[in-house]
Amino acid sequence: MNRNKIAPILMIIPFLLITILVLAAIMNILLQSFGYMPVFGLYDFTLKYYIEELSRPEVLQSIAVSLCISVFSSVIAAVLGTLICAALVYTGRTRGGMLYTVRLPILVPHTVVAVFTVALLAQTGLFARVGYALGLISDYTEFPGLLYGTGYAGVILAYIWKEAPFIAYFTLALMASISGTLGEAAENLGASPVRSFFHITLPMSMPAIARGFLIVFIFAFGGYELPMLLGATLPKAFPVYTYIEFLKPDFKLRPYAMAMNGITLILSLLIALLYAIMMSRLLRKIGGDYER
Amino acid sequence: MKDRTSASSKRNRAMNLVLIITSIIIFLPVIVTLLWTVTGRWPWPSLLPETYTTRTLHEMFFGSSNLWAILWDSIYIATAVAVLGTIIALLTARATEIYRIRGRRLIGYSAMLPLLVPGTVFAMGIQVILIRMGLGDTVTGVILVHLVAALPYCVTIMTDITAAVGNSLEEQAQVLGAGPAGAFMHVTLPQLLPGILSSASMAYIISYSQYFTTLLAGGGKVKTLALVMVPYIQSGDRALSSIYAVTFVGSALIVFFIFEALIHRIVGDAK
Repeated sequence: MNRNKIAPILMIIPFLLITILVLAAIMNILLQSFGYMPVFGLYDFTLKYYIEELSRPEVLQSIAVSLCISVFSSVIAAVLGTLICAALVYTGRTRGGMLYTVRLPILVPHTVVAVFTVALLAQTGLFARVGYALGLISDYTEFPGLLYGTGYAGVILAYIWKEAPFIAYFTLALMASISGTLGEAAENLGASPVRSFFHITLPMSMPAIARGFLIVFIFAFGGYELPMLLGATLPKAFPVYTYIEFLKPDFKLRPYAMAMNGITLILSLLIALLYAIMMSRLLRKIGGDYER
Repeated sequence: MKDRTSASSKRNRAMNLVLIITSIIIFLPVIVTLLWTVTGRWPWPSLLPETYTTRTLHEMFFGSSNLWAILWDSIYIATAVAVLGTIIALLTARATEIYRIRGRRLIGYSAMLPLLVPGTVFAMGIQVILIRMGLGDTVTGVILVHLVAALPYCVTIMTDITAAVGNSLEEQAQVLGAGPAGAFMHVTLPQLLPGILSSASMAYIISYSQYFTTLLAGGGKVKTLALVMVPYIQSGDRALSSIYAVTFVGSALIVFFIFEALIHRIVGDAK
């Protein structure tokens, strides 16, 4: 019996060590962002760095850019991902070749997605060439500057290419099982397929869609590679801007960069909290206990 | 009744169209990037390259570039993350699902924490800590940081399968005289194998894809494929960045399909 008490504690230790590493990183960011850096003789606890950062227009603009990127990319990815998922379920292609196709973008890292995006969307990319061949544009300068522009359209499209399949794949198991059981039951009782989808299958699949949405949203908000490679010089996406501040060699400036990280961290956790509240409401609405 | 079948065939046609468009959008950039790897000249506004060459390819793989060393390092790091991540996740899943350790809810939330903390934030926070631990700019440090990124997925996969498999068969084996280790190895482990392989392949892909965390934990000294291709993308060298992209995805896919084939063999054997 004694073994049964000690064994699980030993088993959980490696996991705890990794978790401590994560918590230590978070603590480090928060402490430094409040100005506590004993190594450099900074012992104050102050909100000064947060207040200074949040009163700089460049910072606010940069946060707005990042929020825009993540809102647009993750909302569109969630809608398209749900559509792709429904298409997979209703055509019965929940395994085999089509599924491998949908999984491909999940396996492709963001740096490669940037290469793909340039190949298609640059002003001399494939789409511009097709536009020229069709007579839609007479010169590559007429093709909309999707990349490196302040609109961040290329970054948003690149995220959608990668994240819509992720949401489809993430939702697939749940939607397939609901559609095969409750959705079919509703159709047998006389509901039209469309009605059965929107009233039964879609709401019941929401927990997976919402969870996928949250992961994608936070990832895009804190993502570095795509806005760094495909974004505008100014305004920069917030993580790109933060890293530039972080690289400044003067350690007295470090709390500013850490306050920027703190802002990203707090906003991400707030979004997660919002998700948790909305999920518990949704679950109460559709009933049953879904929480594992 | 006739009305209903025609409506459903129309719906199927619409759904098939969605899948066809999805496939085109997914494969189009892959095809164009493959073309770029053998392109000599591709001036505006031609739809296809004007001249083809294998010179760049040849230079990359057999020239002076240390591509093979970088490829080896990337595979080594990703394999370590896959193995360690899956072992840690398996141990965690058994502690929570079989031994029903206290604080399961808290463990569940902590496991998801790395998904809620953006990778950039985590990397900038952990850098100083790694340096103080003497792990700054080392492969071990990079593996640790990648583990954090991969673990949420590993724990989810291993928890699901451990809960599904349960331990009733293992207990029976023990009642019949098997030792705890033997019962686990011979009874439960084979049933967990599909989960183990999908956790390992997920962790592998995640580690292989990391850019920012590798840059900060490795300080530019630990070079992986994701890291070395970025300057070529920045300089706008389409041929070279395309070759890196294809090498990258190709090598990841090979590993992925090996895992996938193993899963199918095992699942097939079990039936």
